[in-house]
Amino acid sequence: MCYMILSIFFPILAGIFLLVRKEMKVRKHLLFLTGSFLVLEGILVILAISLAKGELLLLFNLTDRLPILFKIDEVSIIFSALAIVIFLCAGFFSFEYMKHEEKEKRYYGYYLIVLGVLVALCFAGNLITFYLFFELLTLSSMPLVLHNRSREAIMAGLKYLFYSLAGAYMALFGLYFIEKYGNTLTFSAGGVISAQTAEDHMVLLLGIAFVMLLGFGVKAGMFPMHAWLTAAHPAAPAPASAVLSAVIVKAGVLAIVRVVYYIFGASFLRGSWVQKVWLILTLITIFMGSMLAYREPVLKKRLAYSTISQVSYILFGLAVMDGDSVTGGFLHVLSHGFIKAALFLCAGAMIYMTGRTKVKELRGIGKEMPILLWCYTIVSLGLIGIPPTGGFISKWYLALGSLNSGISGFGLAGPIVLLVSALLTAGYLLPVTIHGFLPGEEFDGNTLERKEPSLFMLIPIIVLTVLTVAIGLFPNGIISYLSQIITKII
Amino acid sequence: MDLVQNFPAVSILLCLFAGIISSGLKEKAARYVNTVLIATVMFLNACTLGYVLHTGEAFVYVMGKFPAPWGNEIRVGVLECFMALFFCIIMLLSLLGGRKKLADEVEEGKTFLYYVLMNLLLSSLLALVYTNDLFTAYVFVEINTIAACGLIMIRQNGRTIEAAARYMIMSLLGSGMLLMGICMLYDLTGHLLMSNIKEQVAILSASGEYRIPLLVTIALMSVGLAIKSALFPFHAWLPDAYGYSTVSSAAVLSSLVSKGYIFLLIKIIYRVIGFDIFEASKIIDVLFVFGLMGMIFGSLSAIKENDVRRMIAYSSVAQIGYIYMGIGMGTQAGMAASVFHILSHAATKSLLFIAAIGLTDVSGGSRKFIDLTGAAYRNKWAGVTFTVGSLSMVGVPLFSGFISKLLFAQAAVQNNGKMLPALIVLGISTILNAIYFMKTVIRIYTPVEENKYECITFKDMKLYAVTLVCFIVLNVILGVSSQPIVDLIEQGLAMFS
Amino acid sequence: MGANLFTNYGEAVAMILFGIGFGNLLLQSNLIKKIIGLNIMDTAIYLFLAEKGYVEGRVAPIVVNGVQEAEAYINPIPSGLVLTGIVVSVSVSALMLSITIRLYRRYHTLDLDEISLRLKKEGL
Repeated sequence: MCYMILSIFFPILAGIFLLVRKEMKVRKHLLFLTGSFLVLEGILVILAISLAKGELLLLFNLTDRLPILFKIDEVSIIFSALAIVIFLCAGFFSFEYMKHEEKEKRYYGYYLIVLGVLVALCFAGNLITFYLFFELLTLSSMPLVLHNRSREAIMAGLKYLFYSLAGAYMALFGLYFIEKYGNTLTFSAGGVISAQTAEDHMVLLLGIAFVMLLGFGVKAGMFPMHAWLTAAHPAAPAPASAVLSAVIVKAGVLAIVRVVYYIFGASFLRGSWVQKVWLILTLITIFMGSMLAYREPVLKKRLAYSTISQVSYILFGLAVMDGDSVTGGFLHVLSHGFIKAALFLCAGAMIYMTGRTKVKELRGIGKEMPILLWCYTIVSLGLIGIPPTGGFISKWYLALGSLNSGISGFGLAGPIVLLVSALLTAGYLLPVTIHGFLPGEEFDGNTLERKEPSLFMLIPIIVLTVLTVAIGLFPNGIISYLSQIITKII
Repeated sequence: MDLVQNFPAVSILLCLFAGIISSGLKEKAARYVNTVLIATVMFLNACTLGYVLHTGEAFVYVMGKFPAPWGNEIRVGVLECFMALFFCIIMLLSLLGGRKKLADEVEEGKTFLYYVLMNLLLSSLLALVYTNDLFTAYVFVEINTIAACGLIMIRQNGRTIEAAARYMIMSLLGSGMLLMGICMLYDLTGHLLMSNIKEQVAILSASGEYRIPLLVTIALMSVGLAIKSALFPFHAWLPDAYGYSTVSSAAVLSSLVSKGYIFLLIKIIYRVIGFDIFEASKIIDVLFVFGLMGMIFGSLSAIKENDVRRMIAYSSVAQIGYIYMGIGMGTQAGMAASVFHILSHAATKSLLFIAAIGLTDVSGGSRKFIDLTGAAYRNKWAGVTFTVGSLSMVGVPLFSGFISKLLFAQAAVQNNGKMLPALIVLGISTILNAIYFMKTVIRIYTPVEENKYECITFKDMKLYAVTLVCFIVLNVILGVSSQPIVDLIEQGLAMFS
Repeated sequence: MGANLFTNYGEAVAMILFGIGFGNLLLQSNLIKKIIGLNIMDTAIYLFLAEKGYVEGRVAPIVVNGVQEAEAYINPIPSGLVLTGIVVSVSVSALMLSITIRLYRRYHTLDLDEISLRLKKEGL
């Protein structure tokens, strides 16, 4: 119980503490403070999810019918574990990366606040709590996006803000109705809408479900409201983009999981027009994201487009609403989280060491930093879906579920789109590896010297790479854990 | 009769006398009298509120020796006391926040007049809140208008005088219609006391006689008060009046004066016409539609605005639209939401005006957005406060704005006919709000290369900073522990009938 | 309907005057004409009250030769309302006139729209 409160409010308070503190003279002190805060928060979250699972924590009542309450269930554990791992890795990465950026203190302050808000989001026990922290997540992560205060960054931040707020309000719109028709906002596996109500207000409720899907889909970068993602992610500093892409976008996924499986219930939406439209939207997003990434010359933007596409894999798995596909979706939450964080950190390290941002300019980079590029290559293979990495397992389950589901048309269309997109993924990620290791004959490689990034940068990337491979090699534990969730919600 | 029952009448008279006395005082003394007065009135009203809550029923205080239906009465219920208390708090905070600025904005040696006007304004507000007599209400509406007009043009420049002229014209149109309505109602029912009129109106409407005159009367009174409270499309005077007057005036005008009229309208709906009869008339739909239009067009005008004070003023138009939308929904829940929004908007809008002045002061007095760049770093307290106000306006949970939006939505969901338009417009207007408020927040937090203006620290503005903190606390209280307040409002509305 | 209008011609005239005054106050751009409109509007209301308050063949409720029965007197309240209304109207007119004078001194025109135009040009 107290670990739950602590794990939510400790980082928020720590972040505020950093923000209001005077500028520290010695940079090491700041790093030490932030590092210990992060590690402490990691321990707290582990304690909370191991000790306080299933407990109900009522913080206070916003109004009589709207309590702010937290509850840890299996889904919370998956998402909070992902958040904490990525935040630790990206945090230690930024100790080196942020050296030359101004206002480091502000960055770490907001970084910690975002972590706290995310943990709260994972632990939220009802929709209003979720909405509250969803808004706070947008507001607290915005300073990370516009950290360097260039005009471009501010425009990106504004775009991020408006898309997210618009999405959140669409969700809020649905919340009003659910409060009336569901009589409760508390998440419960299988949905809160009774069969009778569902029958009486079918049209209205389906419409609301769709609006909420679209609204929360904004955060997950789902077509047609995806444009903020490619503006915001490249504008942020690399570790912040890693966090944005790997975790914060997943908040949208978490929201959709909660709305679909814990508010409306899979049985309510299965077979409805909402499911079909949702499937179409995710397939469009998968394909479009990959296509756009393939055409994009700037590495970080390319990765952002790739996020759009990959997150929709997850949404596709959730939309199919089959046991296997949902397992695949959850697996992809983890593997895409690790992979995309690693990719952004790699891109950040390359930019940090060489100052080059475009893919073309990265020729011969393998000669300069081979370890980094090897990590990049391994996680890229993971994203494409080649064994023995995590990406393979998750895509396997996604395709399996889609074929089993028996939804007319989509059962087959899904795997085909996944396959085409995997090819495109190979097409946009591997050129860096190929040109990096094999710059071609006319390229003069003698001027290059070996300059591997420092350990602060390298170790987080290696850790993430190892995790990616580990999921691929030993997926059974996670899959059996996921089956606990699946039996409850399907 | 308990001693406490005298308090409302005493507080009105105190304000009037303080106004008279202050006109013979020097600036400092007038200021002192004013502050003590507001504090006293606050205390008196708090006592009355406690008393009414304790006894659990409203009481009537007869002014003079004539009993009803001839005499003049004051009627005190939970909601009246609470409103009066809240108005006092907001007025006190607005005056404290704008005190330092007042010396620059008002001609030397005329400041005492400002406090005279404030005292009169408070007295008329209290009278509007408490009175049980329609004609008294009309007289105090006019006093309110005159005092407000004085508050606008006490800062002497062309803009304010023009704004005052426009304000007066629109107000006079409104009060003319109100007076006509009152006269016709008197003609129909033969009474001026609200409770007596209500009985007669119920009889009239049951018998079906004078249906059209009654409808016309309702229309005249609601439209008259709507004009006075700047409901779209009668808002043309508002941006200039709020945008160029002294900052305390702007805060008081936007959060109290227009709210006083709206409160009077709510009282008329409940205590004069009767809620059911009002709901059955078509006027309610008209108010609803104009409320919705106000929500959208007010926000659109605010987006186009390049002057921060005028932007906040236009946002008032939108917020008043919210209140009329709630009234127009024709349900108890909608009315409760409107009353809550009166509170939440009063708290937020005065906060925004006061915070905005802190920001413009550190930007060379300019209110253009381009000059405000980075202002939040130069005046940190005002920056944080402005952000809080904006978040509240945008409807982020934990602040008061969210609760009122929630209440509006809950009310809308209960009313099948008006559910969709209300909710959709609520959504659109919220997004529009987000556009201009967030734009401003980002603007004031964008750092500038070279600092043209000097920074202000806590030492230079102790009183101002404390006021801002009070405002934030008030806002968060409304946002976090809203349930008791909503209960209070519902209890008060139930007491009305 | 028409017959009612004719028997209550006083009220009908009051309403027409109210409309005229209202229109002038709203639509005239000259400030003085606006104020005249305001006064017409207010006067119309007093006329309406006075018409309503007077009953043919009765006298003011002032006791001169012993108390008569209540039927003999008119209701004094409308007259009281008229008086109060006149006081309010006078003070409002005075305020409006003073604003007009100030504006005229500054801009040498009584046209409110033109004043607004000039203010925009000043860019204050």
